[in-house]
Amino acid sequence: MKKTLNITGLEQRVEEIEEVLSSVAAGQMDARVNSQVDDDFSGVEAAIDLLIGDLTEELQEREKAQKELEEKLRTIQRQQETIRKQQEDLLELSSPVTKVWDDVLILPVIGTLDSRRTQVMMENLLENIVSTGCTIAILDITGVPTVDTQVANHLIKTVTAARLLGAECIISGIRPAIAQTIVHLGIDLSSIKTKATLQDAMRYAFQATGQKMPDESSPEDETGGESK
Amino acid sequence: MGEWSHKDDRKGLESYPVNSEYDIVRARQTARELSKQFGMGIVDQTRLTTAVSELCRNMYEFAGGGEIIFETGDLDGREALMVSFVDEGPGISDLQLVMQDGYTSGKGMGFGLPGAKRLVDDFLLESEPGKGTIVQIAKWV
Amino acid sequence: MTEFQTEKRIPIIKMRDYLIVSIQVDMHDRLALELQAQILEEISKTGAKGVLIDISVLEMVDSFIGRMLSGMASMAAIMDAAVVIVGMQPAVAITLVELGLEMPGVETALSMEKGIEMLEMRVAGNRIEPLKRKPQGW
Repeated sequence: MKKTLNITGLEQRVEEIEEVLSSVAAGQMDARVNSQVDDDFSGVEAAIDLLIGDLTEELQEREKAQKELEEKLRTIQRQQETIRKQQEDLLELSSPVTKVWDDVLILPVIGTLDSRRTQVMMENLLENIVSTGCTIAILDITGVPTVDTQVANHLIKTVTAARLLGAECIISGIRPAIAQTIVHLGIDLSSIKTKATLQDAMRYAFQATGQKMPDESSPEDETGGESK
Repeated sequence: MGEWSHKDDRKGLESYPVNSEYDIVRARQTARELSKQFGMGIVDQTRLTTAVSELCRNMYEFAGGGEIIFETGDLDGREALMVSFVDEGPGISDLQLVMQDGYTSGKGMGFGLPGAKRLVDDFLLESEPGKGTIVQIAKWV
Repeated sequence: MTEFQTEKRIPIIKMRDYLIVSIQVDMHDRLALELQAQILEEISKTGAKGVLIDISVLEMVDSFIGRMLSGMASMAAIMDAAVVIVGMQPAVAITLVELGLEMPGVETALSMEKGIEMLEMRVAGNRIEPLKRKPQGW
């Protein structure tokens, strides 16, 4: 049978509750009221103990989740470093330079260009110019949707460096959107030879190197275009 | 400007006085060897070597010589090769002027500072007229 | 590297109307200027119409060497000789562009062969009126 509420004891019990709550606030998670009394008020004490219990359980779970997250973060950081290194290797592969006939190189570029990729492309192209001895290189950017100032400047750098080596670098396939960007950014492309399409660029290249385009035929040419 | 690791946290590699044209050549070779050793790509090796040649010559021509110090340290948290050029020459009074492309000193030679700056990842210049100049460059490995 | 170096002379070879110079050493400033003077001297002595400078071994060209080369090209032009730089390494080309160093008056070629072709065309241009197309019946 429940005891009737003892008023004088009540003050003490409320004090006890306050102490327990302060301990929990201070970090002592195992503090409980643990009332031995069984009356109308003990319901409140039991409820408080339950609440503290639920709270500490939740906190512990959160701590565990936090630790797991931190471990995952460390793993991700390690993986990122590996990816960064692999990306460097991929950049080399995604810039294929093809020798077309004699003396002409073509580098078709597809996708978004960022500063790093353009840089790798530039080095790749210049190495190829030197190793093949081709005097004309066509950089075709039909497959590139946009460029920013940095990339445009890298492209100009590529053309200038090619000239220093003794070759001519033509840029073809500049989309209207890119042409607009270039003018808006105030970039000066006057020192660079550009052609609207890859075909125009190839025609120019063949003419400049004294060769005939494969589709042009003349009575004397049996091979159909390998004249120099 | 990036965050450079403190002097005490850097690792000294080589240092020697630059007092002749031969020392400029030596400095180039040190730059080439160290950048190769630390795994820099060939183009970056050339950039750093060229920057070192330019700045060394500056120091020799303008201040009569000085000291070159090669170290590794952190720039923005990444490992970098750092080269310092320390001289007790006349110092530069107008830093802004000197960092302009096309500026030439009395000897008719460009100071070469803006050019060298473009070749590296970070560039610090301190100078006091009558006391001397310190130029520091850093390039990520 | 010792302080006292045996001062190397860079060999200058004469071939037909041309001079061929192959730079194989890391030049200090004075050597570079001496080379410039030597080449101009040889042009004057031999009446050479062209100079081919092979820099395929040079891993670095800084502003001093760059200016030496373009200075030499200007002076050689006054003596009616053309200067062609052959074999520049890609890393060197990229660095020169970034350095902002222009070398006015300096022609470049990818190979010795192409360089000689360039010089031949120039020399032919000076001697005979260049024929734009073969006359009928040839």
